[in-house]
Amino acid sequence: MKLTYLLAAPVALFAALPAMAQVMTPADYVKTAGASDLFERQSAQSVLQTTANANVRAFAEMMLSAHAQSTADVKAAAAKSKVAVPQPMLMPLQAELIAQLNDETGAARDAAYIAQQKAAHNQALNVQKAYAMEGTAPALKAAANKIVPVVQGHIAMLMKT
Amino acid sequence: MHIRFTVKSAALAGMFTAAASISAQSPMSVNAPPPPPPAKVATMPARAAADMQAVLDQLPRLAAKPIETLTPVKARNQPSAADAAMAVMHAKRMSTAPDPAVVTMDMAYGPDPMQFARIYKPAGAPSGTPMPVIVYYHGGGWVIADVNTYDATPRLLSKQLNAIVVSVEYRHAPEAKFPAQHDDASAAYRWVLQNAQAWGGDLKRLALAGESAGGNLAVATAIYARDNRLAMPVHILSVYPIANSSKTLPSRTDSFNAKPLNTPMLGWFGYYYSKSPADMMDPRLNLVAADLRGLPPTTIVNAQIDPLRSDGETLAVAMRGAGDTVEQRTFPGVTHEFFGMGKVVRGAYDAEMFGIGKLKAAFDRVR
Repeated sequence: MKLTYLLAAPVALFAALPAMAQVMTPADYVKTAGASDLFERQSAQSVLQTTANANVRAFAEMMLSAHAQSTADVKAAAAKSKVAVPQPMLMPLQAELIAQLNDETGAARDAAYIAQQKAAHNQALNVQKAYAMEGTAPALKAAANKIVPVVQGHIAMLMKT
Repeated sequence: MHIRFTVKSAALAGMFTAAASISAQSPMSVNAPPPPPPAKVATMPARAAADMQAVLDQLPRLAAKPIETLTPVKARNQPSAADAAMAVMHAKRMSTAPDPAVVTMDMAYGPDPMQFARIYKPAGAPSGTPMPVIVYYHGGGWVIADVNTYDATPRLLSKQLNAIVVSVEYRHAPEAKFPAQHDDASAAYRWVLQNAQAWGGDLKRLALAGESAGGNLAVATAIYARDNRLAMPVHILSVYPIANSSKTLPSRTDSFNAKPLNTPMLGWFGYYYSKSPADMMDPRLNLVAADLRGLPPTTIVNAQIDPLRSDGETLAVAMRGAGDTVEQRTFPGVTHEFFGMGKVVRGAYDAEMFGIGKLKAAFDRVR
């Protein structure tokens, strides 16, 4: 019996390895989601300064409120999960994209905004789905689950523009 | 003593078997940890031209992390080579907004949210004059990147060739593993054959194109069309395709440490997109061993500083051996992903003009 036990244990341990996820840490998720919301709000503000396109205006205004909401949801969940919420900061690429947007004018800024939004929402969906699936902090996982369909809704709208 | 020893070695053997299966293929989660890194190779890649190097220099500035050390979800959110090229354009005070000479529309071709295509059309296209049609597949090793990342090439092809370009999105690995991407590529091809006329396309002037993993899909889809007796394209433009599963190709060693694509990343992609080691020998991946007879005239574009350079070079040899007409060119001083950077990289401009010229000639011959 003892022999079998000795033999089986390490094998079972290794067999279990492939299923183990290397999911983002709760702190990493909070930081990534915060940066993504900040990027959404800053780029919406940029395009709202110049756009003459009613559809772009409506979408950007929706982004301002939707991403204020997701920030609030993640903050509340982080408090429940006892994860510190740092002041959100743009990633270097996001800062570069905002700078690019600000240097466009008129219809070119609208077009750049929509192109950036399509890429950014796919990336946001990746992060939210990954955390919703295997996140380790239950409250944050629930927040991610709530955000996934919202992001999917935004992507569906962007497909029509 | 003796018994204990035996048990330990048996356990050890079990561990090794399990470990081997871990390193071959990933689970289907985007949070699956990366495979162990391959043994290091010290070769330094060839020097890039100054304008190419300026693009590569943007990657650390944008905080790009090595893909081969990341989970798929983190890898998908890294700055891309296209982001780096746009940062160079911005630094030169060029506009990075999409060229308004081309308009786009997204349309689903299947039930999965990833099964859609972005259709590029010249903005001022007169109705009633049918345009050539190009089915284009983006790169990213079937794991990362999407139609947004690869906007430059389809937009340029549409503008320069006055063509409808259908940039096909497809399900990504590891959520959907090989051959899901090939299945989607051929489903999208069939969908284009059914719908292109309604969009103003002329199916007598049909071409397949793609970059990297998409360069593979362009050739693999032509093979699929031949085998299923579908309408054939008049030309294939395959830019640095994945085409050869040999691990001893010269470019795997000389460009082992190249950027933005290195040899460890190729292993990383394979770990996530394959279901079994046998997949790598499937002729849809290992194109050099496929039945390549009866394929349309093909242009293959390669970059000197690219672990996939030998794939394109050996594919050209294999296709010629099968009786196909192939023109292959390796552009010096440039790296993987250079195609589409023609506004800031001279070698890319030259390669784009080369590829566009070949497609134009193929379309013109039909008239």
